[in-house]
Amino acid sequence: MRTAAIKGKGSGIFPQLETLRGRELDGGGFSLRPGGEYRADATAWAVLALTATGTQKELLGKARDRLAAGQKEDGRVCISPDHPEAFWPTPVAILAWNGSPAHHEAQSRAVRFLQDTTGIHFKKDPESPVTHDSSIRGWPWIANTHSMVEPTALSLIALRLAGQGEHERTREAARMLMDRQLPAGGWNYGNTFVYGQELYPQPENTGVSLDALAGSASREDVLRSLEYLAARTERVRTPLSLGWGLLGLGAWEARPGRARLWLKECFELQGKYGPYDTTLLSLLLLAYLATGGIASVTERQEPPG
Amino acid sequence: MIRWKNPREKPGWTRREFLLGALGGGIAASGYSLLLGNCTKKDWRADTLIARVSTYEVDIASILRKGFRELGLEGGEIRGKRILLKPNLIEPHVGAGHINTHPNVVRGAVEAFLALGASEVLVAEGPGHSRDSFLVLEESGLGDVLVEDRIPFVDMNYESGYAVKNLGGRTRLASLTLPASLMRADWVVSLAKMKTHHWAGVTLSMKNLFGVMPGIYYGWPKNVLHWEGIDPCIFDINATVKPHFAIVDGIVGMEGDGPIMGNPRHAGVIVMGRNPAAVDATSARIMGIDPYKVPHLKAASGRLGTIRESDIPQRGEKVASVRTDFALVDKIHAQRGLRLQ
Repeated sequence: MRTAAIKGKGSGIFPQLETLRGRELDGGGFSLRPGGEYRADATAWAVLALTATGTQKELLGKARDRLAAGQKEDGRVCISPDHPEAFWPTPVAILAWNGSPAHHEAQSRAVRFLQDTTGIHFKKDPESPVTHDSSIRGWPWIANTHSMVEPTALSLIALRLAGQGEHERTREAARMLMDRQLPAGGWNYGNTFVYGQELYPQPENTGVSLDALAGSASREDVLRSLEYLAARTERVRTPLSLGWGLLGLGAWEARPGRARLWLKECFELQGKYGPYDTTLLSLLLLAYLATGGIASVTERQEPPG
Repeated sequence: MIRWKNPREKPGWTRREFLLGALGGGIAASGYSLLLGNCTKKDWRADTLIARVSTYEVDIASILRKGFRELGLEGGEIRGKRILLKPNLIEPHVGAGHINTHPNVVRGAVEAFLALGASEVLVAEGPGHSRDSFLVLEESGLGDVLVEDRIPFVDMNYESGYAVKNLGGRTRLASLTLPASLMRADWVVSLAKMKTHHWAGVTLSMKNLFGVMPGIYYGWPKNVLHWEGIDPCIFDINATVKPHFAIVDGIVGMEGDGPIMGNPRHAGVIVMGRNPAAVDATSARIMGIDPYKVPHLKAASGRLGTIRESDIPQRGEKVASVRTDFALVDKIHAQRGLRLQ
């Protein structure tokens, strides 16, 4: 891990950290909301945030075990056992198992699953109203659908930090993201033009894509997206957009100086909307602790020798 | 603008419960039976009301209540029931209010159902294009309205689901996974926006139900449904969910390359009724669109309701008196040839 661990106590995020810890379930793992059932996505994100604080090793071990217990034979980690097609939590689980020798086998299976899995891809009809290159492989939210921006970006991040940065699928994912970048800057869920109109970018998609592309693309290639995100992040205080916005900018050494102030404002927004769910709380804690992108607060696995 | 005289006296949830309350607690079996009930022709009740509403700065709740009375929707039917309002909130874009159901229409609908004695009215949506539902609420202006009036909101994208048999049968999907809040609701109201759509021709109260399908099972933007086919999915979702009432915000709609990139179009109407197919057919005619040329409306005709003009008892304004042709884009396949002659 690149950053020094922050224990939380005495810092402005301690109450949020306590809230997060309080969502641990008796059998290990985390629920999305207080009193809820186990959720793989919530558990993986909570592990990332709590790892970044450098505390609670026993809690982390139990949570990682619970993630592994729910893993399917082929390596996928699903949103629920009866929805194996919804395997989008897999990349976050890979990140959560980083740096844990006891979960190396589970992580390796998840990595292999991602490398062997893709969305539906096809050569585009010349008359198609959409313009992106639908043949470049990434990852979908749900099995047997087209690859989209966020699951591809998260998978790219996970594979790189699991030491698979040079794998052909990782490189292809970076190409896919570049192809889905909007000419005016930024990314949305995954379409660029439809019927000749350039679509609007969204901050969370732009943040996660920029984070994923750090190290794979040149600054010049993503300059408009960085400019879009810097301007947009100043105005957003909602957790998903602000969290990924700051991580995306941070990955390109463009983290705004007032980041922590904005994060505090975002935490305060819970007074309006109620407590954030576990994934959002975790993302915000990571953004608070980060000095750069998500890699700055995440365990990193060395590439295979 | 309608405001509660004293929000603290209004029945509803506290801020702490905001976003959370609808997720906890038991799931009512009564809601389940409503979802699975049979729909026969005699149940269509296709009466549709068109209210002329020139601006969002009027007492929309009173307009809706008057419309309810005209349609025979009285307190006895609503008293003590939990009402789920499903607006159309797709993605945030500052300054593009015509993308989403206007906050004042949502506010008016909440007040109108509470006035009929509903025990609870909640707003629920699973935005299709954005995972950040808080941002959609903030930038659409709906967030402030919900908090000010203490209206609970449920993000259906992240709700745990329950599987029900797909009662439509137009897709390969044997079952649909619906969010828990739908099961808890006694009444489901589609609170749609009047828009053209580049894949479906129009998006009105039937297409609006795409938003009930949780993103955690269907992806963003509901990828599974797109791959199964938008038109057959609209049929299947409506056949299975069976919304009880439909309200279409056509005060300012969207024409051209909807549902996001089109231009605002002032039609100055709210359309409502119990049968979504009839409400959508009437809305389409107001937009100058032939409902028989819109595949999902044509498919619904005779199965989920009626779109035949002579079978829809029209109340309030006449279609001809409010018809406002929405621009159609010829290069958009789904909009080609839709114009009502």
